[in-house]
Amino acid sequence: MFIKKAMTSKVISIDIETEIIKAHEIMTKNNIRHLPVLDKDNKVIGMVTDRDIRSAMPFNLSKKEKQNIKFKAKDIMTENPYTISSLATIQDALLLIQKNKIGGLPVVDENNKLKGIVSVRDLLSSFINVLGIGEPGTLLGLVLEEKIGQLKKIVDVITEFKISMGSVLVARYQEENKRVVFIYLLTNNVIPLKKKLKVMGYTLIDPISWYI
Amino acid sequence: MKKTGFLFDKRFMLHKTSSFHPEIPKRLSAIYQGIEQSGLIPELFLIKGEKAELKWIETVHDKNYIKNFKDACFKSKETFQSPDNQICTDSYETALLAVGGIIKTIDLIMQNNINNAFCAVRPPGHHAEKAKAIGFCYFNNIAIAAKYLQIKWNIKNIGIIDFDVHHGNGTQNIFERDPTVFYYSIHEHPSFAFPGTGREFEYGEEKGYGFTLNSPVLPGQGDSKYMELIKNDMVPGFERFKPEIILVSTGFDAHMDDEMSDIMLSTKCFSWIMEQIIKIADKYSNSRLVSILEGGYCLKRLPELAKNHVSIMINCAKDRIKDKV
Repeated sequence: MFIKKAMTSKVISIDIETEIIKAHEIMTKNNIRHLPVLDKDNKVIGMVTDRDIRSAMPFNLSKKEKQNIKFKAKDIMTENPYTISSLATIQDALLLIQKNKIGGLPVVDENNKLKGIVSVRDLLSSFINVLGIGEPGTLLGLVLEEKIGQLKKIVDVITEFKISMGSVLVARYQEENKRVVFIYLLTNNVIPLKKKLKVMGYTLIDPISWYI
Repeated sequence: MKKTGFLFDKRFMLHKTSSFHPEIPKRLSAIYQGIEQSGLIPELFLIKGEKAELKWIETVHDKNYIKNFKDACFKSKETFQSPDNQICTDSYETALLAVGGIIKTIDLIMQNNINNAFCAVRPPGHHAEKAKAIGFCYFNNIAIAAKYLQIKWNIKNIGIIDFDVHHGNGTQNIFERDPTVFYYSIHEHPSFAFPGTGREFEYGEEKGYGFTLNSPVLPGQGDSKYMELIKNDMVPGFERFKPEIILVSTGFDAHMDDEMSDIMLSTKCFSWIMEQIIKIADKYSNSRLVSILEGGYCLKRLPELAKNHVSIMINCAKDRIKDKV
């Protein structure tokens, strides 16, 4: 999936002269944690996070004392922050975020102009979508031999029972040459499918022994 | 002595599904046989189904949704909204009969004719949302029952206990913003079982925050975990809420012989759960309790489980008389 589909398009931004008390207010009011800093051409020149603000604003100050803090965005922002293109993929964003230990990325066009923002929260929503768990379903765990065509046989049986799949995850199993497959089935009616798979000789995994 | 009500009607078996479907009419015959063969029928106040007025269904479901469901049945469609929801020409009428029967049961309780009742109805209801049929459910029977109690009988605080092995997403969804209905569910963990909701951190929304409580249980954890959670979550929850009546979504599908789940409850544990629920009803709800059938698919076990369920309700009424004497 591309970033364009996962990003938030309506982005609230600030300029370098914005006072941090104001930036803090904007974040609290809008329940956001990242504010891209733009120049007059809408180009991204910095990023201010809630953490930057907390670091610049001691927690024990009174409201009045906070008003006296005259730091501006330019004093605390990360200059030339990591950015990502709207045509990059979610995988790109995940790896970039993980590698650089950041919480969000401004999405920019080829001229570095702001197009959106993608945060860890947006990526989580995408993951919920990929896992299919936003829809009612049942998890089925199976042990398969690591041979070409194994999954096809399973999918054929699922299709025979007219069941839709929300997601399929494949993981290593403790025994060599075996894989465990978790299929999220969009149904409550798994009994006939399980019976058929058992008759075909497949091992359904005990979820608890797998997880513990 | 007031009897325990038993809502049962052969017409509830007119809603038919295919041979690969677990929610079949035979479930009800198994339940009836279990109760009849134990000689319990003379001790019960027998109630038949009757067609509910649409206005009561509309307290929960959108008019368009109801119409679409009716049309799908009358046009002899095989499914409604999802391949899981198999229907036949009679499904709509059967669903109306079930709701009407439950409404009649509530009237009998509120008029003091019976203490408590078991409603052996089909189709089940707790997955059905306002405009969505899910997991074999079309009309949310228990949600309509709660609305009826509030509107017709002016009951303010209603407690719902759902021990079907699947979370009652529909019931939760309908009442999650409503502080007058406390919904408690114990079920197989949503990462493993249908429908994928009912996580520990779902407490309700807005004004209803704190009036939804979920106890998800990991597969295979069986009796001891259920007993622990019922003692530590359910009982204190209802002690705080003090419901004026208790409605129960009764599902027998957490049983160790039911292939629908991996929870592995024993027959004995089902009885223990029901005893705890009755204690709450006795303490806070003037013993008023309506149990409504949801799931439970093991035809071999259903007779015994239903018989035990109903005997506990009957015996509690007897015990109360003894206590007074």
